[in-house]
Amino acid sequence: MRLSYRYSELLTGIDALAGVMGYLPGTAPEPVTDLIAVLSEELLATGEARAEYIIFDHVNLDPVSKTVEFEGVVFHVKPIIFSQIKNAEGVALFICTAGREVGELSRKSMKEGDLLRGYVYDVIGSEVAEGAADRMQEALKTAVALSGMGITNRFSPGYCGWDVAEQHKLFSFFTENYCGITLTDSALMNPVKSVSGMIGIGRKVKYAPYKCQLCDDKNCIYRGRKT
Amino acid sequence: MTEILERISTCVEFGKVDIKSPYPPAMKDQEGAFELTRHALDEGIKPGEILEEALIPAMSRVGQKFSRNEIFVPQMLMAAKAMSSSMIHIKPYYLSGETKRRGTFIIGTVRGDLHDIGKNLVSMMIEGGGWEIIDLGVDVSTEKFIEAAEKHPGAVIGLSALLTTTMENMRKSVEVLRNRFPAMKILVGGAPVTEDFCRKIGADFYSPDPQGAVEYLKTLA
Ligand code: B12
Repeated sequence: MRLSYRYSELLTGIDALAGVMGYLPGTAPEPVTDLIAVLSEELLATGEARAEYIIFDHVNLDPVSKTVEFEGVVFHVKPIIFSQIKNAEGVALFICTAGREVGELSRKSMKEGDLLRGYVYDVIGSEVAEGAADRMQEALKTAVALSGMGITNRFSPGYCGWDVAEQHKLFSFFTENYCGITLTDSALMNPVKSVSGMIGIGRKVKYAPYKCQLCDDKNCIYRGRKT
Repeated sequence: MTEILERISTCVEFGKVDIKSPYPPAMKDQEGAFELTRHALDEGIKPGEILEEALIPAMSRVGQKFSRNEIFVPQMLMAAKAMSSSMIHIKPYYLSGETKRRGTFIIGTVRGDLHDIGKNLVSMMIEGGGWEIIDLGVDVSTEKFIEAAEKHPGAVIGLSALLTTTMENMRKSVEVLRNRFPAMKILVGGAPVTEDFCRKIGADFYSPDPQGAVEYLKTLA
């Protein structure tokens, strides 16, 4: 399934973006909130994020090796993620991206010496990539609900022990490159503002409303955010 | 410290660039780091004094507040901008050799990695600590690091990596650099890098934030 979102659908306001930078509502300095307002506005009209997911109905879940296998490809998702996916009947793989433009604007501003502007673009890009993943997840949830199924949270290579190098396996299923993401040898997605991962699908799977309890990254800036 | 140096220092700490900048509101319509630095030089204050007594301490306070989560990245960047406006007047003295930097710091994001925000923050704060920065950019090969190290004897080098996969490339680069330049100080950082990893790959210093690196460099210069 291929999806596309305007930035205007994904950006949730000045306080939310200032929050990602660390500020409690109303505490960010004016030049920062002003810049967030101006740059979001600039991108609202033109910015486009893309997402794609593919559903696999026939999967083998091995509780001993904590692996998920389909179409001959074995994913070593490791214990934390496996425990969330183990009751799934199928899985979806997804990729999504905030696109190339926002990263280019960020780099250009930084090069010209306007670091603050570059940083604001960067944070907008991260939020849009996450926002696109949220929307893609909603769309998947709605689609599978038609056949009485539910979904798990989304899990990404590089989190909860799942080796980021497994992105290569994941990307082998997205050959047409609708999202325009390429993978470097070191499993980095280009454009940088991109997210990939796997979601379990089934009648007996659970969605954990407070996902941070699953993860052990104490330093994560998303920790404690109830999204 | 003279009053003007104190004022320059405050301007940099709070991101007051010049008379036109409306922020911080309490300093509206007052002269900023740009004008005050000019006045200070005209009054005969040595550029080195402005650097050592106003600019570097201001950036150090900024770095400490950031480490304590009292301010966040944007305020650090605003301070850096004010510092740059002051440096416009001081740079010519570097070129003439009248004022010296504490040393040269080469920095780059390792091969295969494209992340640059963290690296840019670190360079900016180290520059604020009085060092000359040679920024090699992102996706920097070991050869490029070597080339830069050869061109700047005595320089300190910093490597940044944001993914566990590119940390492998960090390990390789550090290994080669260590062999080639046994005495060179090597700093590493980036979200997944740890103290333990730093020790294992034979780098000299790891810091989770820029200020730690600035403090470490003080012990070298
Ligand atoms: C925001 C974010 C994203 C955003 C934006 C990505 C980006 N970097 O632009 C999005 C949502 C797109 C994203 C995607 C992914 N992410 Co991400 N992301 C983060 C997060 C939460 C913050 C990164 C950030 O911007 N920090 C702010 C900057 C300023 O900090 P920084 O770069 O770390 O630099 C600071 C320090 O590290 C230090 N420093 C940096 N360099 C140096 C150098 C020296 C010498 C020194 C002394 C200090 C130093 O100083 C800087 C200032 O304080 C981190 C977790 C975290 N808490 O850090 C994960 C994190 C970086 N992501 C991670 C992963 C795995 C991914 C994905 C692979 C997940 C996936 N499969 O989709 C993708 C990869 C994207 C890609 N292009 O390939 C992992 C990487 C580790 C790993 N396992 O490999 C992290 C660490 C989270 C984790 N699991 O612990 N991510």
